Amino acid sequence: MSTLDTEKSKGFQSPRRKEEHHVNRGDAIIKVEGVSQAFGAEGDPRRVVALESATLDIARGELLSLIGPSGCGKSTLLNIIGGLATPSTGRVTIEGQTVKGPSPQKVAYVFQENTLFPWRTVIDNVKLGMAFQGVAKAEREERARHSLEAVGLADFCNHYPAQLSGGMKQRVQLARALGLQTEILLMDEPFAALDEQTRMVLGEDLSVLLARTGKTIIFVTHSLVEAVFLADRVAVLTARPGKIKQIIQVEEPHPRKSDFMTSDKLSDLRNELYELLRDEIRKTMNVRAEPE
Amino acid sequence: MSKSKLPQRLVQLGVLVLILFSWWYFTLPGGINQLLLPAPAPVFRDFWVLLTTSSIWPDLLVTVREWVSAVVLASLLGCSIGYLVSRTAYSVRVFDPLFAGIYSIPAILLYPLYLLFFGLGEGSKIALGTTIAFFPVVLNTIAGLANVDKAYIRAAHSMGANDLQLFWTVMVPAAFPVVLTGLRLGCIIGFLVILGGETISSLAGLGHRIVSLAENMESSQMFANILFAVLMAFIINGTVSYVEARGRRSAQ
Amino acid sequence: MTAITTTGVSVARRGPLLSPGLTRLLVIFLLFAIWQVGAGLWGDPLFLCTPVQALRALPHILSDPKVDNAIVVTIYELVTAFVVSVAFGLCIGLAVGLNGFTKQSIMPVILMMYATPQAIILPLFVLIFGIGPAAKIAFGISHGVFPVIVTTVAGVQNLRPQLLRAAHSMGASRWQVFTTVIFPHMIPSFFTGMRLAMTAVLIGVLLAELYVSTAGIGFYSRLYAESFSPPDLFALITVLAVIAVTLNELCRMAERHFSRWNIG
Repeated sequence: MSTLDTEKSKGFQSPRRKEEHHVNRGDAIIKVEGVSQAFGAEGDPRRVVALESATLDIARGELLSLIGPSGCGKSTLLNIIGGLATPSTGRVTIEGQTVKGPSPQKVAYVFQENTLFPWRTVIDNVKLGMAFQGVAKAEREERARHSLEAVGLADFCNHYPAQLSGGMKQRVQLARALGLQTEILLMDEPFAALDEQTRMVLGEDLSVLLARTGKTIIFVTHSLVEAVFLADRVAVLTARPGKIKQIIQVEEPHPRKSDFMTSDKLSDLRNELYELLRDEIRKTMNVRAEPE
Repeated sequence: MSKSKLPQRLVQLGVLVLILFSWWYFTLPGGINQLLLPAPAPVFRDFWVLLTTSSIWPDLLVTVREWVSAVVLASLLGCSIGYLVSRTAYSVRVFDPLFAGIYSIPAILLYPLYLLFFGLGEGSKIALGTTIAFFPVVLNTIAGLANVDKAYIRAAHSMGANDLQLFWTVMVPAAFPVVLTGLRLGCIIGFLVILGGETISSLAGLGHRIVSLAENMESSQMFANILFAVLMAFIINGTVSYVEARGRRSAQ
Repeated sequence: MTAITTTGVSVARRGPLLSPGLTRLLVIFLLFAIWQVGAGLWGDPLFLCTPVQALRALPHILSDPKVDNAIVVTIYELVTAFVVSVAFGLCIGLAVGLNGFTKQSIMPVILMMYATPQAIILPLFVLIFGIGPAAKIAFGISHGVFPVIVTTVAGVQNLRPQLLRAAHSMGASRWQVFTTVIFPHMIPSFFTGMRLAMTAVLIGVLLAELYVSTAGIGFYSRLYAESFSPPDLFALITVLAVIAVTLNELCRMAERHFSRWNIG
C-alpha cells in the first residue's frame, strides 16, 4: 500500500484531487438542510435536543470530518445522513433525493463497534453485505476478495472474526463497506476502540486507500489529529444542542503520509481546532456538574 | 420502563385467570372426567383442610428430614472433596472432567440399587438426594477455588500472607459466590429428586402421599397435595435464592 | 477418595509424569479394582456384586428378547420425547422471545412452570396416558421442553443491537435479518438447550419407566432387585447408563460443532 505514492513536499496538491476540489465545490452530492433532532415531546422536561438546524453541503469526492464534544450529535447527524434515523425537522438529500431510510446502493457504513457477524468467516461477512445489498451471487466472491486485498487482509479470508485483533476487525468492516461499491462512505468513529499506534497506522492506510477510490466520506471522530490528518474539511460542532460552529479547510493532498502527521501545518490546524472546541467541552462539563 | 410494566402484569394476570377459568369450565358436569381433573372448588377445599389440619405433618416431616440430611451430606462431601481437588492444577485437570462426566449420567438410574441397599425407607432417598446434590457442589467448589484471580494471590503473597491467611482471607471470600451457587443448585435438585424417589417407591413422604391418593382415585385430595408440594418447591426455591443473594452481597 | 487425591497432589509435585487423561483412567481403574476386591471379599452376594460379575451378566440379560424389547422401547421413548421437546420448545421460544412484550409477560409464567417439581405429577400422567410409552413420552416432554424454550429466548435476547443496525444499513430485508442474523446468533444457545433437554428428557423418561413397575425397564429392575440377583440389576443399569451417556455425548458433539465460531 505504501508503495503507491511517494510525494513528500508539503503543500503539493495531487492533480486529481485538486481538480476535484475545483470542479466539485459547487456540485454537492449530499445536502443537509436545517436538520434538527430532538428526543422527547415538546415541553417535556426530559426533552433532549441533540442537533439544531444543521446545514451543510458535502462535495463529491470530499472527505469531511465531524468533530465535537461528546453528546453533541455527531453520530446522530451521521445516522440521519445514512437514513438510520429520521430528523425531527429539516431534510437530507443525496444526489437530489430526500433520504427516507437506509440507501444501501449509495451509502455504506463503518461502525465504531465491531459489527461483523461472529458466525461467519471474514470473506463471508464481506459477501453477506453484498447479499443484503442485492449483488448477484456470481459477482460476490471476486469483489469480496478484491476489497479484502485492498485492506491487506487477503490472507485472512477464512478466519472467524474472533480470531482477529481489534484493528484487523475494523479493516474487515472497512472491506465490507468498500465491497458495497457505494459512492458514499459514512464512518462513525471507526478507530475509537483501538490503541493510538494502531489508529495512526490505520489512518495512514485509509488516506492512501481513499485517495485511490475517490469516494465521498463523512468521518466522525473524537481525535483532533485524526480529523486534521484525514479530512479535506473539518466541521466543528458545538456542545448540545449541536450546531455547526465552524468549518476548517485542510489544504493538503491525499494520500497523506506520516510526515504530514509531524508537520507544523498539522499542529497549527490542530491547535486551531482545540481553541474552537475547548469552550464547547467546558460547557458540557458545566452542564454535567450542575445537577449534582 | 416502569410505565410499560403494567400491561405485562395484566397479561400475566390474564394468563393465570385464563388457566383458572378453563380449569373451571372444562370440569363442569359433562366435561373432563373428575378422576383425571377435579373441579377447582373441591381441590381448594381440600387444600384448605391440608393447611389447617395436621394430617400432612408426618409425611412432610419425612420429606424434609430426607432433604435436609441429603443436602448436609452433599455439602460436606462436596466442599471437602472440592477443596482437596482444587489444591493443584493437575488434580483439577484429572478430577474435574471425571465429576462432570459422571454428572451427565442420570443419577435416577442408581435408584434401584439404592432401594436394594438401603430399603424402601428414608435411606434410599437420602442416598439418591446426596448423590445428585453432591455434583453441583463439588464442581462449583472446584471452579470457585481453582479460578481465584491470580492477581489477588500475588498481592496477598507480596504483603507476606501465609498459606492459612491466604486461604481464609483470599481464597474463601473469592470462591464463596461460586460455591454458593453450587449449594443452591444442590438444594433445589436434591429436593426434586427426593420427591421423584418417593414417587417411584417409598413408605412415607409427600411423593408417597400423592401416589397413594392417585391409586385410591382421591383426585381432589391428590391435586391439593400436588398444589402443596408445588408451593413448597417455590418456597424452597425463593428462600435458597434469597439466601444466596444475601450471602453474595455480604461476601463483597 | 482422600487417598486418591493425595496421589494426584504428590504426582504434581514431582512434575506431572502422566497426562491428566491417563491419570483419570488410572483413577477409574483403581475405583473399579477397589470395588472388585471389596465386593469379592466382604460383599453380601444378595445385595452387591463385583464389576466382573456384572459384566458377565450382560450377555445373559441381553439374550432375553423381552429385556431387549424393553430397552428398545425406552430408546424410542427417549428419542421421540427429545424430538418433540426440541420442536415445541423452539417454536414456543421463538414466538415468545422475538417480541419484547410477549417475552416479558409470558416468560415469568413459563419460568414458574419450569420450577415446578414435575416428579409429583407423574401419577397424573399415568392416570391420563396409561402405563404405555405415551405416558413416558409425555412425561419426558414435560421435562425437556422448558430448557429449550428458556435457551431459545436467551439466544434471541442476547443479540447485540449494533448487528441488527449494520444489517439494516446494508439493506437486509426482515427475512434476511432472521435467517442470517437472528437465527445463526441463537444457534449455540439452541444447541446448549438441546443438550440440557436431552439431560432432562433422560430424567423424565427414566423416572416414568422406573415408576411404572409393571412393564418395561421398571419391571425388570424391580424383578432383579426382588429376586436378589444384583449382577443382572447392575448390568441393566450399565446398559441404560451407556445409552444415556451416548445420547448426551451426541448432543455435546453437535453443540461443539455448531458453535465453533463462538470459541474462535
